[in-house]
Amino acid sequence: MTTNPLAPVQRSTPSSEQGTYSIRCQGISKRYQLYDKPMHRLLDALRIGGPRSKDFWALKSAYLEIRKGMTVGLIGENGAGKSTLLKLIAGITVPDSGTVQVSGRLTSLIELGAGFHPEFSGRENIRLACSILGIGPEEIQRLTPLIIDFSELGDFIDRPVKTYSSGMYVRLGFAVATCVEPEILLVDEALSVGDEHFRGKCMRRLNEFAESGGTTVFVSHDLGAVRSMCQHVALLHEGEIVEQGSADRVADAYLKRVKARGDERLSMSNREMGEYPRWGSGEIQTEAVDVLNGSGKPAAVFAPGEDLTVRVHYRVRDHVKDPVFGLGFYRSDGTYINGSNHEWRTDPIHLENTQPGETGVVVLRVGDLPLLQGQYYLTSFLYDHSKPSPTAIDHREHVTVFQVVDPDPRQHGLFLMSTHWKVERQLADGETQILKSES
Amino acid sequence: MLAILRSLFAHRALLKDFVVRDLKARYVGSAMGFFWSLVFPVVNLVVFMFVFRLIFQSRWEDGGNKETAIVMLAGILVWTAFQEAISRSTNSLIENSNLIQKVVFPSEILTPYLGISGLVNMMIAMPIVLIGVLVFSDVGIGVSMVCIPILLIVQLLFTCGVGWFFATMNVYLRDTAHLIGVGLTVWMFGTPIFYPPSMIVNAKIPRSDLEADGNYDISWMLEINPMHWLIDSWRKVLVENAWPDGALLLRLTIVAMVVFIAGGWFFMAHKRRFADLL
Repeated sequence: MTTNPLAPVQRSTPSSEQGTYSIRCQGISKRYQLYDKPMHRLLDALRIGGPRSKDFWALKSAYLEIRKGMTVGLIGENGAGKSTLLKLIAGITVPDSGTVQVSGRLTSLIELGAGFHPEFSGRENIRLACSILGIGPEEIQRLTPLIIDFSELGDFIDRPVKTYSSGMYVRLGFAVATCVEPEILLVDEALSVGDEHFRGKCMRRLNEFAESGGTTVFVSHDLGAVRSMCQHVALLHEGEIVEQGSADRVADAYLKRVKARGDERLSMSNREMGEYPRWGSGEIQTEAVDVLNGSGKPAAVFAPGEDLTVRVHYRVRDHVKDPVFGLGFYRSDGTYINGSNHEWRTDPIHLENTQPGETGVVVLRVGDLPLLQGQYYLTSFLYDHSKPSPTAIDHREHVTVFQVVDPDPRQHGLFLMSTHWKVERQLADGETQILKSES
Repeated sequence: MLAILRSLFAHRALLKDFVVRDLKARYVGSAMGFFWSLVFPVVNLVVFMFVFRLIFQSRWEDGGNKETAIVMLAGILVWTAFQEAISRSTNSLIENSNLIQKVVFPSEILTPYLGISGLVNMMIAMPIVLIGVLVFSDVGIGVSMVCIPILLIVQLLFTCGVGWFFATMNVYLRDTAHLIGVGLTVWMFGTPIFYPPSMIVNAKIPRSDLEADGNYDISWMLEINPMHWLIDSWRKVLVENAWPDGALLLRLTIVAMVVFIAGGWFFMAHKRRFADLL
């Protein structure tokens, strides 16, 4: 390892007592001062007149201790302070209070390829990027072939970076950041770029890094990846670390929060849904449409396989001979997933002779919701089926929305399917082996 | 203050890489490449000779035997190195905000690398001045050239100090870059580059407010302008085959060191906030 003072972001020398820690954040806070006008910032900086700023605390008194060799996940909603924490650990910004102690050479994958110069070749940019990371000339000589090899850029390595595709750019950036043999790696979500093959290679590289004793701090929204990779997870919310501990426990706590918040937010947005198309003759009007979970409480976030109940309240204004209620499920991109009503069934429900003054609720229960992660919306239909072709009484598009969040995604796509896997092996010694996975 | 010197020393390899990258970047993609560094001074020399010698029929100083165009060229080369470094330095933090916000980056090296890059370009063009001296005047060149390294160091110190100051200011107030554009133009014409310093001393700006008929004395402009001291020293060495004025050079060195220390201190005092402010 070089002894260049830049490379290890060693803002304090570790004493023997801290030897087992790679990162210790003790009560760190980060305040951003927001100004209405740039002039105010200058006046404040020159201490002319009173403070004119509004304070925004991106991080409030965070404690996080990371032992050598651990893989730690940071989760939380957008704006919770994850990136700020990562930047403070990296030493890109400094905390307003508290201390950050880092021991070991640190590189960050916060932005891949930061500082690449478009006019220069990949090879020249490797040199400069390594130099920025504080690596000496001899070591750059040694590392360059490894970096070129990992990036799989081939002949492109001697062409200007401006001719690269965004995938190639990221590949080179990732190769530089991980080939310089860091001891601590900070990974932001940036990794979700590049093709499937390279992404796999990156994940393998990160796993190798963890196995070889490297310390990783990992910001992600992918709870599956967090559960499988991290031993320790910290959950941030509005600048505070509100939970930390084992990956499963904290990931569950996070899901609970997302659900609670999602329910609140979605029910709010449901109230402002007036702008979607609605038409019909209006003898009967659908009023509130509620979505409830298995325990009968209003909800907007579901897990695959949960029970989902839709309640459509209606009020009759005038007589209709044969009204039929229906509901349509759509994915947020408009894909029509399912539609049904209470009449076209083997045991139909007939609503006959509805009279003014009548109110009621039509309930649709979906058992084992077979939808996978995504945003969905409902459209409610109310048609008069007494005529040869049904006519709309009250057709309301996009009447409510809900979200499916999968805490542990095992299937991808739109639908949860009941899948059974089997492998039949004809072994070399003539034997037959059958392997089965039923769930 | 020690911090900035230590940092520059620690990052000397990076500093070198940045200078090399900058020099290369000037000519990447141009057919004549490096040759352009020589075109600028040669064309300037020809233009100055045409305008000042043939059109204005001017002599540098009465009775002097110096070639006007060459004296001007020496001055403009020194000034250009300074001006370019300052205006680029002012924008350098914003232009490299990607580095400052995304990686741990010693932003204090930006101004020095721009200063060094400017000086290297200046030195590439200097032979044109010397050739001009040999061809167009009978002064010759001599041993006082040993002063060149001192002048380079002093110029770099002064450039860095001023550059750091405005780079920092520009983070707080983007208007600084515009202000600098105007300010440098005023400064350039207030510095004896296209006219000899004696013209400032002898300038006749009639005053009407006093009964005594006299002139405003503006020779103080020479006394407060370190760029004049610098350019004057360069001219002595390059085109007059003389030693720089010792008192002037001493004053210049002290001022340059003070400016360097003050600018460096100002920069480092605000550096921790750059990543948040950009």
